[in-house]
Amino acid sequence: MADSAAEARIDQILVARALLGDDRRAFEQLVRRNQGMVRAQLRRLLQSDEAAADDLAQETFLLAWRKLGQFRNEARFSTWLHRIAYGCFLQACRTKSWAARRAQDDEMEHLPTPVQAMDLRLDLARAMRHLSTAEQTVLLHCAQLGLSHEEAAYVLAMPLGTVKTHATRGKAKLKTWLAAWHDAAGEERIP
Amino acid sequence: MNSIHDDDIDALLRQSFDGPIADDGFCDRVMQQLSRRRRPSAWPLAAGVLVGAAMCSLSLFTSPLWRAAWHGWLVGEWSNSSIIMLSIMAGMSLLALAWTLAEADDH
Repeated sequence: MADSAAEARIDQILVARALLGDDRRAFEQLVRRNQGMVRAQLRRLLQSDEAAADDLAQETFLLAWRKLGQFRNEARFSTWLHRIAYGCFLQACRTKSWAARRAQDDEMEHLPTPVQAMDLRLDLARAMRHLSTAEQTVLLHCAQLGLSHEEAAYVLAMPLGTVKTHATRGKAKLKTWLAAWHDAAGEERIP
Repeated sequence: MNSIHDDDIDALLRQSFDGPIADDGFCDRVMQQLSRRRRPSAWPLAAGVLVGAAMCSLSLFTSPLWRAAWHGWLVGEWSNSSIIMLSIMAGMSLLALAWTLAEADDH
């Protein structure tokens, strides 16, 4: 927590430097410090379409550079970047085919019973794809990118209650679908 | 059936996330695309202040309160009108100061 606060403070100082003297080196530091998570966010949102994700990440940072004066410290700089990135993603969805691909991911009742525990990660990925788009998006931001519910609500422009509901429902579905893994693991432990 | 806890699902989700992507020249590509940021010009603010002051003077010019206050100042008297006008100006200045400080704090 303290580390996170210190990181946020460093970002804040770099933003101030970038704004005051039009300091490109300060902004470069901000890009270096935050590109990894922003690109990871976009790759997940675009289902591993790396080229498209990097194009959107580049657009995100160029937009952040232009709008830097509008950053008001109401959220951490990294959270502000995630919000811009998500906005770019939504904008791209309106014109590209990713939205149609995501829409095909209907909810499912059951997954096939797993065979080997080493496939758990693959099945989790499959289970995630069968959550609703909103549930996937909320779990990506909260559980994987490590944002709080409040920060996820800010990034996704959703009411806080809606974020919590999607997170709870998404986890409940994953629990149901992955219960067989848990049972299998339990049986292996019992002689 | 053994129950899976939220913490287990959280841990699984964290494990399935590969973490931040390595730079691999991404930052350099962004910096090459970066255009010079246009500084917001100061003239709209200055023009706004001047126009506001002019409009305020015009609207007050016909006011008996303003005339009485002006007359009081000219003859060096502290009339009620001059005190009211002075208080209004001091209040407006304080508001502007507070607004400026709040904006500076935001940056």
